[in-house]
Amino acid sequence: MADHADLPETVTLTIDGQQVTVPKGTSILHAAEQAGTQVPHYCYHAGLSAPAMCRLCLVEVEKAPKLLPSCVTQVAEGQVVHTQSDKSLTMRRGVLEFYLHNHPLDCPICDQSGECKLQDYAHEEGRPHGRVREPKRVFGRDDFGGDVLFYGDRCVMCTRCVRFMNEVEQDPRLAVVERGDRSIIDTFFDEGLEGTNFHGNVVDICPVGALLSKDFLFKQRAWDLSHTDSVCPNCSQGCNIELHTRDNLVQRLRPRPNLDVNGHWMCDEGRLDYEWINRGGRLEVPLVRDGKEFHATDWKEALVGLVRELGAGPVRALVSPRLSNEDLGAARALVDQLGGGDLVYRSRRAPEELVLKGFPKLARRRDLAPNVNGADLLGMSRVGDNDGTGGLEGLASHDGIVLVVGDDLEDQPPTFGKEAALYVFLGTHSSEAASHAHFTLPLTTFAEQEGTFTNHENRVQRFWSGLPAPGAARPAWLILWALLAEHTGQTQPTRPEEAFVTVSEFGDVTYETLGKQGVIVTPPTRQEPAGAIGD
Amino acid sequence: MSPKEPMDTPFHNPGWAGNTGEFDLTEDQVRGDDFVGSRPLAGAHPSSSASYPYVLVDKHPESPLFEGPYRERFDKILTRYPDTRAALLPVLNLAQEVRGHVSPETMDRVGELLDLEPAYVRGVVTFYTMYNKRPVGRFLIQVCTNISCNLCGADEVMDAFLRYSNTEPGETSEDGDFTVIEAECLAGCGFPTCVQINSRYYENVKAGDIPSLCERLRADGK
Repeated sequence: MADHADLPETVTLTIDGQQVTVPKGTSILHAAEQAGTQVPHYCYHAGLSAPAMCRLCLVEVEKAPKLLPSCVTQVAEGQVVHTQSDKSLTMRRGVLEFYLHNHPLDCPICDQSGECKLQDYAHEEGRPHGRVREPKRVFGRDDFGGDVLFYGDRCVMCTRCVRFMNEVEQDPRLAVVERGDRSIIDTFFDEGLEGTNFHGNVVDICPVGALLSKDFLFKQRAWDLSHTDSVCPNCSQGCNIELHTRDNLVQRLRPRPNLDVNGHWMCDEGRLDYEWINRGGRLEVPLVRDGKEFHATDWKEALVGLVRELGAGPVRALVSPRLSNEDLGAARALVDQLGGGDLVYRSRRAPEELVLKGFPKLARRRDLAPNVNGADLLGMSRVGDNDGTGGLEGLASHDGIVLVVGDDLEDQPPTFGKEAALYVFLGTHSSEAASHAHFTLPLTTFAEQEGTFTNHENRVQRFWSGLPAPGAARPAWLILWALLAEHTGQTQPTRPEEAFVTVSEFGDVTYETLGKQGVIVTPPTRQEPAGAIGD
Repeated sequence: MSPKEPMDTPFHNPGWAGNTGEFDLTEDQVRGDDFVGSRPLAGAHPSSSASYPYVLVDKHPESPLFEGPYRERFDKILTRYPDTRAALLPVLNLAQEVRGHVSPETMDRVGELLDLEPAYVRGVVTFYTMYNKRPVGRFLIQVCTNISCNLCGADEVMDAFLRYSNTEPGETSEDGDFTVIEAECLAGCGFPTCVQINSRYYENVKAGDIPSLCERLRADGK
């Protein structure tokens, strides 16, 4: 592309009476999108090849003898396209009637209802009543293994799932079986999709309710869910996702297109690993220890009490790579203010990467935390083993200030921090190892706060808050900066974008320049960790 | 045209093509006497598997794929196509010739031999109607029930076959000899009713011919 940048080859055409200029080679479907018209389609998906077999995106092109499939027809100079002409609409109404011929119309019990393309198109352009008198053919349902359930009767045979497995996952386990109105999507008998790592995407790309997620089955109605743009917190790939939430719980994760990071896809491990966000038993109020007893208190009292205890002293801090860049920056600022000290983190590491063959930019990375690179970039060092445990011998018996932010210390004994002059524990859940903490402060999870993660290629990406914080829980950056403000008497950041720009490593990048797609701040400098951590 | 007459009598056999009554020729003279079983021994149509002589084997679902002369034919098929995907159809033909039908195990094995996904092989096998997905009898009887044959009594012919073999369509008779199915047009519209038994056409078949035809099949294999 760059070579031809000085020779812009564009084509100007008219779509529904509107002139659009698009690059040569664009499909009519994409050009129509620019003209503000959505052409209905099933088989076409931006991440897959286009077989032009659903016949729903046919549009009228002047001087063409027949209607043309807009998903594969390239634009031509001076073309005049009508997507809403009588001819196009009549054709679509006819095609939709065929699609509904054997469809069970079981929307009330279908999970896809509300986000179903057949429902949408039939509602917008289909016939108001069916004319079918014959009995419908019935397939029933089939368990495809993994997280996928197949309802054959609802299928419109767009073969997106077959092409996903062929082209993107490159493990062609799905095929069209049988012929005519008996044709159906199936695997090789009982083989199923078990053992593939990205099969959850076939549920996303299914335009109807034929492929459904077992995890989400009969759980929520699609129209009840709130969607929040976020970043997958389960590995350092940083797939762009949407949190689908209801009842103050994350109900499912869905990928959000970002061609620089995850394309249209995400892995099954990341997709299904969200229950930890919903884990109950949260810390909801600041706790101050008085002898052996913990007293619930409010933020003001907790912070004022804490500042009173904060003396300059050797600080050792443990942070978590699940914290945002803002949180890590605030933790470092606090440690620096107290005279500097060790900042370490622990992170689980998987034995290997799981690469999506047809889109190799995307892989389930080895680091199973979203912000390992952020912590590295901020000069924090990694301790512990590949299970994210151990490595805290010095910290556990440190006699100065011990600061734990975000790490749940699950593997640590109750004697952790017993010797500390001041032990401050910030976490989402309490822990046995926090029983000697002088101050226990409630944190939010990433889903309850706004912030940024730095992914494996040092791309900083924003995420947004999709859930309300439980009780008095607050983001770590807000707590730590408030503490600093109290400590130094100076004004400190009170908004995430202000907290972000205090981190000098990000240069002049701001939330505005990050946008929704993220920015690579510096090329990754971190090498694969040496054998020291048990490779 | 009486069903009682032996079927190799010239022009009284209702069951073979070209029986116009104008020439004093036997069926063997028309077709060649090497036309036995389900495939000609020589001179088969070039579209059939590698045009090799047909080797009469006892079709067994467990027969190995592919050994001896079948291995040669398999290798020859592969040389004719740019990739194994293209060779899939003739290889499946060959597999069906050896095993009588294409079972899931056969699909798996063929996929393995051709380095194709078994799901893809299954898709192909189930798309084409001439691959038997279940075991069939020694004689697979396909009765054309399309329009021309139907007007000339295909339904009665079908019923007669089913009565004789005491089966439902698609079932195999208890003695393992007959499987009767309906077929779409066999392109024998000039000689209805047309019946294909294994790879052989029987034309101008009437319902009354069935018992003698079936008995002859049992006795002579053709």
